[in-house]
Amino acid sequence: GELMDLIRTEGQRMTGAQPSETTVGNMVRRVLKIIREEYGRLHGHSEESDQQESLHKLLTSGGLSEDFSTPYPLLRANVIEAINELLIELEGTTDNIAMQALEHIHSNEVIMTIGYSRTVEAFLKEAARKRKFQVIVAECAPFCQGHEMAVRLSKENIETTVMSDAAIFAVMSRVNKVIIGTKTILANGALIAVSGTHTLALAAKHHSTPLIVCAPMFKLSPQFPNEEDSFHKFVSPQEVLPFTEGEILAKINVHCPVFDYVPPELITLFISNIGGNAPSYIYRLLSELYHPDDYEL
Amino acid sequence: GETIQGLRKSLRTAIDTLSRVDSSVAVSSGGELFLRFISLTSLEYSDYSKCKEIMIERGEIFLRKVSLSRNKIAKLCHPFIRDGARILTHAYSRVVLRVLEAAVESKKRFSIYVTESQPDQAGQLQTCYFHRQKMAKALRKLNIPVTVILDAAVGYIMEKVDLVLVGAEGVVESGGIINKIGTNQIAVCAKAQNKPFYVVAESFKFVRLFPLNQQDVPDKFKYKADTLKTSQNLTEEHPWIDYTSPSLITLLFTDLGVLTPSAVSDELIKLYL
Repeated sequence: GELMDLIRTEGQRMTGAQPSETTVGNMVRRVLKIIREEYGRLHGHSEESDQQESLHKLLTSGGLSEDFSTPYPLLRANVIEAINELLIELEGTTDNIAMQALEHIHSNEVIMTIGYSRTVEAFLKEAARKRKFQVIVAECAPFCQGHEMAVRLSKENIETTVMSDAAIFAVMSRVNKVIIGTKTILANGALIAVSGTHTLALAAKHHSTPLIVCAPMFKLSPQFPNEEDSFHKFVSPQEVLPFTEGEILAKINVHCPVFDYVPPELITLFISNIGGNAPSYIYRLLSELYHPDDYEL
Repeated sequence: GETIQGLRKSLRTAIDTLSRVDSSVAVSSGGELFLRFISLTSLEYSDYSKCKEIMIERGEIFLRKVSLSRNKIAKLCHPFIRDGARILTHAYSRVVLRVLEAAVESKKRFSIYVTESQPDQAGQLQTCYFHRQKMAKALRKLNIPVTVILDAAVGYIMEKVDLVLVGAEGVVESGGIINKIGTNQIAVCAKAQNKPFYVVAESFKFVRLFPLNQQDVPDKFKYKADTLKTSQNLTEEHPWIDYTSPSLITLLFTDLGVLTPSAVSDELIKLYL
């Protein structure tokens, strides 16, 4: 019990510092779940029961939730071991995702992506070893990370084309698949990704092009988009309109949002280190990774 | 002596009597759920009197949990109401009222549009007036600016609204809901204008039905109990409820957590496993 409270306080401090970095909160919740499981195992409960709220629990449970105050000497060793397993899993995520590349990319396909994502880069590189395909990268202004992505891909001898965000819709009709990375996956299956992704997703929907999101499971956050805009990060508008344009700056408001919200209906498939999933299945993955009591850190 | 079977039978008769008087989905699903755990208890204890004690105890726990559920839902739902939001709701729902109370308590300002939710029989104007005023009155007591609109004006008002929040009489296996007639219309309008459609319901309202269209909803829910008994031709009666399909619903708020419509069937399976 004390251990969990300690972790929870630390977690709250960390997420309070930078709310848009949801991965921190996710990992804290993973650790809390590990502790609960290990405790449960030592306490003698079976793993599946007592985990989730359910109608079944409503009817059968005799009392309130368990309190974690009984100390067990083995608990520490077990928790440390489980955390080490978690670390190994985290290190292997990109490779796991890349391994699934061959099933999804076929020869002579035109693939579109936006910005720079290491997961997508690894994914495409793995596929390039056996297949020949083309990639179109949207540059993702104002930071233009798309350029870096294109350079790295072309080093692997993948035919790459860079184009501006405005041309996304125009080129979409020639694209077979859209593969993107994301910053966070929300509990309803929606995405928080670099700005420009929503446009890309809408264009893909319009042309009925499948939109595939490559993201490791640690990006899955149990939060819902409750529109308090707590996820939004704005950075200096220097990139949009440089400070040298002083005269104009006095008369206008310039914003530079970093992230975009993409609703779940626009996404076809999530590829993560545990396999491919539909957006409507996200709630299930949530229940496997985190405990409902931890959703609110 | 008495037996579990006998107890079960008398409970069944009780539920039937209740549903004959007030044919509402919630009553029948709540009864079904309670009956369910009679059978679960009987598996664990063979001694009858002990069984009875446990059942009474569990019944109390059930009651307590259910009365807490409304508060749980309010806690989950009120962060979704932004400051300055305009909400559309339909008919009178105590859960929605509780959610709005919680939002007011957290110092949010918003305004509400309530539909009249007419029953279709002209002769009942008296009750209809009372009904709509019930919701509007309750909201005014909380100092929320309320506007009552015609059912027909939903399409007109939808562009001004930020989100739609309704209660439910029943939640079906597909994730759709059964609610006062007119809800389906509101859901379709909301979808057409891309407004989020939220449903709040307690978990005992989950019912084991899977209607594929409006006709599939059983008659005993659609019409009032006395109408079923007295009327000759049901096609001339107006139904009191309709079915809203899960594709129109954005999120469901229940005491089991915030669920997407696809998660509902999972919850139901967990119960009946």
